Amino acid sequence: MPFELHFPTTFEEAWALLEKGPPGSTLPIAGGTDLLLAMEFRRFSPRHVVSLSRLPLQAYEVGPEEVRIGSLVPLRTLELDPRLCARLPALVEAIAEVGSVQLRHRATLGGNVVRASSSSDLLPPLIALRSLLTLRSREGRRTLPLEEFVQGSWKTGLRPGELVEDVRVPLPRPGTYRWQRVRPANDISQVGLAVVRHPAQAGGLRWNLVAGGTTPTVQRLIRAEATLVSEEPSQEDVALAAQRAAEEARFATDLRAAEEYRRHLLQVLVRRGVEDVLRSPLAKEVRG
Amino acid sequence: MRRTDALPKARGALTYGADLAAPQMLWAAYATSVHPHARLRSLPVEEARAMPGVRAVLTAGDIPRVLPKRRWDPSRPLLVETECRFQGEPVAVVAAQSLVEARAAARFLQSKAEWEVLPAFTDLEKEFPEWPDVETMKRHERVNAHVLARRGDFERAVAEADLVHEETFRTPMVAQVPMEPHACLARVQGDDWHVQTTTQTPFGMREDIADKLHLPEAKVRVEGTWVGGGFGGKNEALLETHALLLSRLTDRPVRLSLSFREEFLFTRTTQPAIFRMATCVRDGKPFARRTRLLLDTGASLPGRDFALGYSLGFTLGPYRWDTWELEGYALRTHRAPFGPHRAPLAPQCTFASDGHMDSLARRLKVDPFQLRLEQVWRTGDRTPFGQEVPPFAAAAALEQARALEKEWRRGLAPGHGIGVGLGFWSTGTSMGGEAVLTLGPKGLTILQGEREIGSGSVVEGLRVIAAQATGLPEDAVEVVYGDTSTAPFDSGVFGSRTVIALGRAVEKGCEALLKELARRSDHSPGEAGEATPRPRTSRGKLRLDLQGGEVFVRSPRGTGPLLGYLTEEERNGGGLRAHGKEYGRSHELDSSGAVEGDLYAYSDLIAAVHLAEVRVDPDTGSVRVVRYAAFHDAGKVLDREGYRGQVEGGLVMGLGTALSEEGLITSEGRLQNAGLLDYRVPTIRDAPSDLRIIAIEGFPGSGPQGSKGVGEPPIIPVPATVANAVADATGSRVLELPLTPERVARALALISPGAPTGPAGPVTPAVRGRPK
Repeated sequence: MPFELHFPTTFEEAWALLEKGPPGSTLPIAGGTDLLLAMEFRRFSPRHVVSLSRLPLQAYEVGPEEVRIGSLVPLRTLELDPRLCARLPALVEAIAEVGSVQLRHRATLGGNVVRASSSSDLLPPLIALRSLLTLRSREGRRTLPLEEFVQGSWKTGLRPGELVEDVRVPLPRPGTYRWQRVRPANDISQVGLAVVRHPAQAGGLRWNLVAGGTTPTVQRLIRAEATLVSEEPSQEDVALAAQRAAEEARFATDLRAAEEYRRHLLQVLVRRGVEDVLRSPLAKEVRG
Repeated sequence: MRRTDALPKARGALTYGADLAAPQMLWAAYATSVHPHARLRSLPVEEARAMPGVRAVLTAGDIPRVLPKRRWDPSRPLLVETECRFQGEPVAVVAAQSLVEARAAARFLQSKAEWEVLPAFTDLEKEFPEWPDVETMKRHERVNAHVLARRGDFERAVAEADLVHEETFRTPMVAQVPMEPHACLARVQGDDWHVQTTTQTPFGMREDIADKLHLPEAKVRVEGTWVGGGFGGKNEALLETHALLLSRLTDRPVRLSLSFREEFLFTRTTQPAIFRMATCVRDGKPFARRTRLLLDTGASLPGRDFALGYSLGFTLGPYRWDTWELEGYALRTHRAPFGPHRAPLAPQCTFASDGHMDSLARRLKVDPFQLRLEQVWRTGDRTPFGQEVPPFAAAAALEQARALEKEWRRGLAPGHGIGVGLGFWSTGTSMGGEAVLTLGPKGLTILQGEREIGSGSVVEGLRVIAAQATGLPEDAVEVVYGDTSTAPFDSGVFGSRTVIALGRAVEKGCEALLKELARRSDHSPGEAGEATPRPRTSRGKLRLDLQGGEVFVRSPRGTGPLLGYLTEEERNGGGLRAHGKEYGRSHELDSSGAVEGDLYAYSDLIAAVHLAEVRVDPDTGSVRVVRYAAFHDAGKVLDREGYRGQVEGGLVMGLGTALSEEGLITSEGRLQNAGLLDYRVPTIRDAPSDLRIIAIEGFPGSGPQGSKGVGEPPIIPVPATVANAVADATGSRVLELPLTPERVARALALISPGAPTGPAGPVTPAVRGRPK
């Protein structure tokens, strides 16, 4: 269906546009790599599409303890930043596997988060990294952990009129992103797994493990995380964590993989992922 | 940049099917069946006709009144009348002022159509878990064709064998997936049924349209556009008939194109097959083979199956057998009709045939090269169908591959394996082609009726052939693309035949031009055409040259401008003209082995031996091709770069067949992955970086200078080669394509072997057999 495309330059203008018409008739667009497909498949048929490209959502600051990524920053910018490559390997490894180079020039972190796909390659590392979202609306700003924000495919804690302003990710964090696909390049992962180790001073568990390809959305592997209590868990603990991860993950059979195969893969990926993180130079550098 | 179409294509300056437009044009869109098999109860045609912008809705019932003869060929239904035969079969076509309006009305029709769903037959495995007996099949209403051929008594061979090696191979639906979807623009004015379209075969399409619409061929005019890949999928008239009918109905030009989803559902392609292979061995030597093939030919109509009889021969491999038996059934199912697809079914046949040979070598614990070399056809042997083997480089290619394999095997990393695959092909040289050549003072033009589909065989190949035949630089040779009313007849771009057949026609035309110039040179130059006989001394030595933009003739008598050789009429008429024709030869076939159905003769035989090194992840089943080498029976390479491009492209396409491409259906028979998201063609990042192409010359074919076709052979051995390499790396053989990580994981027993509900389906355990 035809639609009208708007380019607001202020948040006020954007909110005014987004409040028009019945729900679903006006949608915001960032990179558009998912939304346009969803419109092609008629999941959405908006009459008005509001481009966020001219709003001040491109902030990008790499600090000593945190990176703040504006929701409209293209993935390719992050992928090519050596500061992130060295200090947030889990995120950068995942970004490098999203679609093609052309797509990563368009696609944004904010868009990926709002899409909330269960097979997203970015949600597992972002959640494992304990990312925080800044959400902005007429009422002001609020901050929400990404883990609480994501509920299911296209389902999030986003309120009407609210926009994702930025994503804040702590760094440095040793970690990795592992995946399995039928076709290595430019495919959807059958299973994805982010493994991140946090410092003791960050509080909470030392390790966060988040899987994608799960149903109905990406899933934190809490029992596996609880098995990895120390900074350098033993091989036995890693094996046990892998086994628990495979047991606790909610998988289904679909056209991309059988449930049984996904469970098997997750077990392999957890073992390899944790072992690789332990061996990584960053893990040796960042201790305590 | 040498290819003349490269820069304009990169700039978007050439017209493809999807670029076609005309003033007053209407846009068309399809409403299709959403079920594989169902009876149409109602279709809200009148409501659709009243929708905004809609100018016409064409249904089956409207066709007779649109056609001049008021009838069409009922055996080839153009639209669903009462019962759909496959998911995606067109039910109605809408023409509207805009694409958005056309699609809206088509979607309305599709969603409001009422169907009575009928049982669909889409799964050969379920219908025939075992090889069916003859009596069952005689009564089975869905048998489209049956072929049985044999020499000797296979049952006796079984009794005499030390070992009978048996395996069942399975292959899925795979699609051509050209980058450019089908698209056409039709315009009917009076008696002129004119269609511009992206096609591999303008003349074949003209015949097809004329047949389907009961029109005289002379009233149908097909004009090809630049083609963004065909791979066999752009031969038949699919959209063109509908666009022509709508144009006739509305008196307006009508444009019709397919979405990628429709490409997967509605076009003709390769459908699943099950190969039951058995090979008898005595004293360590395989001497008898039997193939039993169940081929899903989709909704192909009886009598229109080309694949079964042609394919079966490839399952014997290019090998000598004392005894052989071939039997196959083509089954009419509720899938899209089977259609040509870069060496139709040959990669699948070779996966079965050569994979079977490879597993036999492993079972007998003999060198897989040696086993093949002892059996393989050599020039002068007889094929199973009694044909003398023309020059054939299979043994030479195997020897070269063996030498490289030794090199690779030294220091082979753990988890890696090397596989060899041998395939062969026979090009479609028996179909004809013609070209009209005009040699003028500035250069040579070739008027011909093929279209460039991407390989370079027309845009580059014909120029290279003419340049090499005459001595002119390629820049002085121009290829002109005619439509079916202006170009001489040609069968089209398929069967790896362009360079071999049309190229040979061009070469013959060049020879005729030089012969005529030589004749004139033997007379007094400057008095062309006038009869002043002189002794013949310059035969065969005459060449052309370009000097300062002018064509010169160089003969032993000296060099002079072409102008001096032309008659006044020729000077005024553009130049000296010659007509080159090549209609190939029909080959002899010993059909005494055929019990039922037809066997097909081979023409040129082309061998292809591939070597792959793979890395198999022992924990996940992932297969990565790390090195690849292709040894190809080239005859004679006419253009190194073009040759390399064809082989590389073909083998990367084959890697998709081997590793990732398959149409997946639901239990109701609906295609689940009609689109590029979950139907996985290889990307450039999936291609191995170490890729060697080795052309073996000296085994001449029937093309110009002894060349052989190269369009199809490169894809043929790829799935077998990769599967053989995986077997080498792991000791387990995957008997079903493609070798997805999940399927390999099942073969490696990382997970259970069968997944009745999973997408990968059951996998037959490694090697079965019954030692005697």
